[in-house]
Amino acid sequence: MAATLQPYLTAVKNTLTAAMCLQNFESQVVERHNKPEVEVRSSKELLLIPVVISRNEKEKVLIESSINSLRISIAVKQADEIEKILCHKFMRFMMMRAENFVVLRRKPVKGYDISFLITNFHTEQMYKHKLVDFIIHFMEEIDKEISDMKISVNSRARICAEEFLKNF
Amino acid sequence: MAGRLPAVVIDNGTGYTKMGYAGNTEPQFIIPSCIAVKESASVNDQSMRRLGKGMDDLDFYIGDEALNQPSYAVKWPIRHGIVDDWDFMERFWEQAIFKYLRSEPEDHYFLLTEPPLNTPENREYTAEIMFESFNVPGLYIAVQAVLALAASWTSRQVGERTLTGTVIDSGDGVTHVIPVAEGYVIGSCIKHIPIAGRDITYFIQQLLREREVGIPPEQSLETAKAIKEKFCYVCPDIAKEIAKYDAEPSKWLKRFESSNSITRQEFAIDVGYERFLGPEIFFHPEFSNPDFTLPISDVVDEVIQNCPIDVRRGLYKNIVLSGGSTMFKDFGKKLQRDVKRTVGARLKVSEELSGGRIKPKPIDVM
Amino acid sequence: MILLEFHNRIVEETLGQKFKNALEGGKPDAIDITIADFDGVLYHMSNPNDDKSKVMVSISLKFYKDLQEHGADDLIKREYADFLSSPEEGYSVSLLYDLDKVPANHEEVVKKAGLLKRNCFASVFEKYFEFQAKGESGHKRAIIHYRDDETMYVASQKDRVTVIFSTVFKDNDDVIIGKLFMQEFKEGRRKFNQAPQVLFSHREPPQELQNTDAATGDNIGYITFVLFPRHISATAKDNTINLIHTLRDYLHYHIKCSKAYIHSRMRAKTSAFLKVLNRARPEVDAAKKEKKTISGQTFRAK
Repeated sequence: MAATLQPYLTAVKNTLTAAMCLQNFESQVVERHNKPEVEVRSSKELLLIPVVISRNEKEKVLIESSINSLRISIAVKQADEIEKILCHKFMRFMMMRAENFVVLRRKPVKGYDISFLITNFHTEQMYKHKLVDFIIHFMEEIDKEISDMKISVNSRARICAEEFLKNF
Repeated sequence: MAGRLPAVVIDNGTGYTKMGYAGNTEPQFIIPSCIAVKESASVNDQSMRRLGKGMDDLDFYIGDEALNQPSYAVKWPIRHGIVDDWDFMERFWEQAIFKYLRSEPEDHYFLLTEPPLNTPENREYTAEIMFESFNVPGLYIAVQAVLALAASWTSRQVGERTLTGTVIDSGDGVTHVIPVAEGYVIGSCIKHIPIAGRDITYFIQQLLREREVGIPPEQSLETAKAIKEKFCYVCPDIAKEIAKYDAEPSKWLKRFESSNSITRQEFAIDVGYERFLGPEIFFHPEFSNPDFTLPISDVVDEVIQNCPIDVRRGLYKNIVLSGGSTMFKDFGKKLQRDVKRTVGARLKVSEELSGGRIKPKPIDVM
Repeated sequence: MILLEFHNRIVEETLGQKFKNALEGGKPDAIDITIADFDGVLYHMSNPNDDKSKVMVSISLKFYKDLQEHGADDLIKREYADFLSSPEEGYSVSLLYDLDKVPANHEEVVKKAGLLKRNCFASVFEKYFEFQAKGESGHKRAIIHYRDDETMYVASQKDRVTVIFSTVFKDNDDVIIGKLFMQEFKEGRRKFNQAPQVLFSHREPPQELQNTDAATGDNIGYITFVLFPRHISATAKDNTINLIHTLRDYLHYHIKCSKAYIHSRMRAKTSAFLKVLNRARPEVDAAKKEKKTISGQTFRAK
């Protein structure tokens, strides 16, 4: 399993770097508007073909790009019920704080757990390669954190049960 | 089940947390808002370190118990009325609910408080903890000042109960003047006064230091605090009060006795002008703070003058004092007199300017 | 704090205060407070007929009728004989304390008052423990509706007493965490030989309760304790009751603590992610900014 992680992340990294090629683009439909085209989908010719990179059935990344914005959606590994709720809780917790994470989308794209929306304004203000690094770092850490959390909750449950039974 | 059981009320202040069940006349517990935790010395970053292993995060104490725990570090999660550390706050609530109040949070509604001008994020975090961790069925977060207005209802006739008024909330760290109209805080008009209980204590300490030599230096702050809480009051006129003391010292001077906490030696000091000079710094702030010279009555007047004109009369009419540093004897009386004087002068001027044609309706204060 | 306490702090502290005050010769103050406890229990402390020298402590349990069938009255009488009075309206049991005659062992009395709820519960267990001790079987199973939608069943057989709890999880996520905890209860007992056997089932009631009106549903769990004679001997009995009657609250308390723990972890991780994201921001004019040396001179980093 571990052997497939690195190629997976490398593929995501390269695709993302390529997709980061964004430019300022004003709306063709509404005057004086400047909206992320990947969200409004107002004109077909501005959208590129979305890419799905998947490691296995459950872990995959969807990268949709357009002329002035790109959307990356991540499906996180969820092996069992407990990982599922932990992941769900964590993603909701982060999205509640989307204000601070400028590139975080407040709602995930359907079928995925979390989405990021990067516009040309973000790439103008921040280093592109560091933004890519952030996404990759996030993908690396999130799996680890969720399995760590699962282990701690499990061990809590065990200690809690033992503490109770010890007293008989 | 929530309908039959009383609601839980928790008021988290900077210094003390007051908690209890709704419907009772006073809180069941008043404990210091602090939490004692074990700090391990590993080198990870701060936030990961405090998670600890296994059930380490349940090994903590709150309130008075926290202050008496050797080998634990005492933390204060609330600063200036605003929650500073949410991890500690969540655990504080955990123990407050399960150990002190012994309530199943799923069965009770909750009433929490927030300071005026609390940020919406903080309110969201509070609600997140309450609903997600504790599964409370319902929650209301009230502004402390509005509750102070509601609390003043008990001393009023039924017809006069309003949620419009000016609240002067003075604790240990800071004093706020908060105008409230129909239950809503007029946020833009709130004013802070950098003078509160602690400043009075320092002022008294300074006065004592100049005169009394018997006080052990490490106890001088405690002594000043004890004198403040025991003897201080507000006088109508300083000059007259001083003359009164000089004429009959035996009647007015008090003696304060205590003992040195290390040598157990008794010491006694005379308490003189401090009795009324301490609280006087609210009315003459220049005594203790050279940068701030506006007396509290002027601040109140200014706050009300900033408010929309249609609520001003109501705000003058209902000035409510809350917090420990407003409990000096005759504090309210003097404030009322001073505010009245300012308002009266303004009315008189407008009457003169109109050449006596307009007779303003007198304004009630308090 | 891992285990929950068994006594009610507020009752204990308030009553202790009253006794202390009375002993010091202080004037008694009026009292009228209503407080709650786990499992929908309500206490009321007041002065009957406005007589400030008396303090009445009343407890209201919604399921007291269930308990009465199993001899709760006798047990209360045994434990609180000196203080028992006719129950206040709307309440199940009332105790009356006279501040003019503070009992010599007042500390003990206060402790006991704090355990009022526990003692109400105890009656059922004691009764069935006794059945088992006498070897009687064939008694009807006791059913206590200790919360609106949660029920406790106690039954005795020849060689054991079984206690079954049903518990409801309000939140869907709690069901999963709860399941995890209950599983560990089952596993955990292997380590401790002295502990009773624990079984749990999710959704469906256990076999003993088949064909009863026991509730089923996605968010319902059943925990069965099989108590053997060594748990219910005269010496171990009190401890067993103490533990068992708080089980439900213990479980829910720890589910909530786990969620609080998850929250702290998420907070830590979120701020770590933020730090990484902020690295992507170029430092604002860091190079151009003037820096100061300790002696007060300024220089520009190049």
